[in-house]
Amino acid sequence: MAYKPQFYPGSTSVGINRRKHMSGNIDKLRDIPEADVVAIMGHRAPGADYASTHPPLKEMGEPDCPVRQLVAPTAGAAAGDRVRYSQWTDSMYFAPSIPYFRSYWGAINCKGCDPGTLSGRQIIEARERDIEDYTKAQYDSEVTDVALCSMRGCTVHGHSLRLEENGMQFDMLARTEMGADGNVYAVKDQVGIPLDKKINLGKAMSEAEAKKRTTIFRFDGVPMGGKVGERKFDEAIEMTHHMWERRSKWGYRPE
Amino acid sequence: MVTESDTESIQVEITPQRYLMPATAQKLLNEIYANGGIIRIMIHGPNLPRSVPYGPGRGTPIDENRDLIIEVGGQAFELSVKVGRIRLELENEKYMSGLRAACERALPFTFQIRRGKFFHSRPTVSDYAKFGNVEDKRILGLIDPKAKKERLAILSEEKVTVEDEER
Repeated sequence: MAYKPQFYPGSTSVGINRRKHMSGNIDKLRDIPEADVVAIMGHRAPGADYASTHPPLKEMGEPDCPVRQLVAPTAGAAAGDRVRYSQWTDSMYFAPSIPYFRSYWGAINCKGCDPGTLSGRQIIEARERDIEDYTKAQYDSEVTDVALCSMRGCTVHGHSLRLEENGMQFDMLARTEMGADGNVYAVKDQVGIPLDKKINLGKAMSEAEAKKRTTIFRFDGVPMGGKVGERKFDEAIEMTHHMWERRSKWGYRPE
Repeated sequence: MVTESDTESIQVEITPQRYLMPATAQKLLNEIYANGGIIRIMIHGPNLPRSVPYGPGRGTPIDENRDLIIEVGGQAFELSVKVGRIRLELENEKYMSGLRAACERALPFTFQIRRGKFFHSRPTVSDYAKFGNVEDKRILGLIDPKAKKERLAILSEEKVTVEDEER
């Protein structure tokens, strides 16, 4: 029987969404042009050449190494691109992704990347053309809601703050704005430098939709133990208790 | 059993469910002002910098955060924070019900009103370093101790002053 990864336990909607994010089997909700994603990232002008830190691998002549022969390099690594980043802030008010699950998504599904999780933000570093692909995949999919998540290279404040009146995540630098037509527009790149033109990111999710797609356990949404008042806790909390017990008693040695 | 006096001043904190846009903040503050009985009031929330504070875009102006002028009680002043919390001291208990009604009229979403002690009554070391001996005790608790310069807005019958450095 072929091995099927299980990713995350539990039968709550959040558990199911967490499994979806980790498996990479996520819905595509919008299509933001690649040039716009590149402009928001702000590392290079759309259409410009990629800067490189070393010659293409083919020209370099690699040492005789079995691992290098086994693993095909990513497009960015093969071309010798610089390492660049995209950093996201996801609101704790039912944003579809939360920092850890963006990282799990990256670590499991994106080759040659380095995800980093912080309390209120999440960064992925990779070779430039790879990170552009990964960022577009995040923008286009259900991992992102354009009102509750935004790309913030600096001044990342927002994850644990209350939302604005119009349902947007608070942003000190006002990088995104809600248009009169109900669409969310990116007006600045991820470090707060104004863009040449406003980029339409599409409509934000409704509150009900965000709650349906979220991966955050919350007391006022779906709690980690499952339905309140049930005789038995959801498997997610049992697994967490089990891991903590093992870890405390035996330093997480499963035997 | 201790019976609370209804003639002493009370301190109140209003926490709306969301951050207020300047127009809503103006409406709310005017409703609170019209309710009367205010000894002092403080607006609290995340800073709105006038330019990008750090990173590759440092120094780039943020036009969205400029000229956020609101008018309260006939006086105009500029907001330097996103209004997220309002603390105020009322002359006595009888203004409390009017305050709740004012919030209900002005806010389109839920809010919390808590009673407690939100302003300190003795000068701290920071207060002493900045002002020396404070004569008007009402300004205690209204000053941001982390600000490089005093950041203070006093709404009174006579004048409104806002001191805020350009950042």
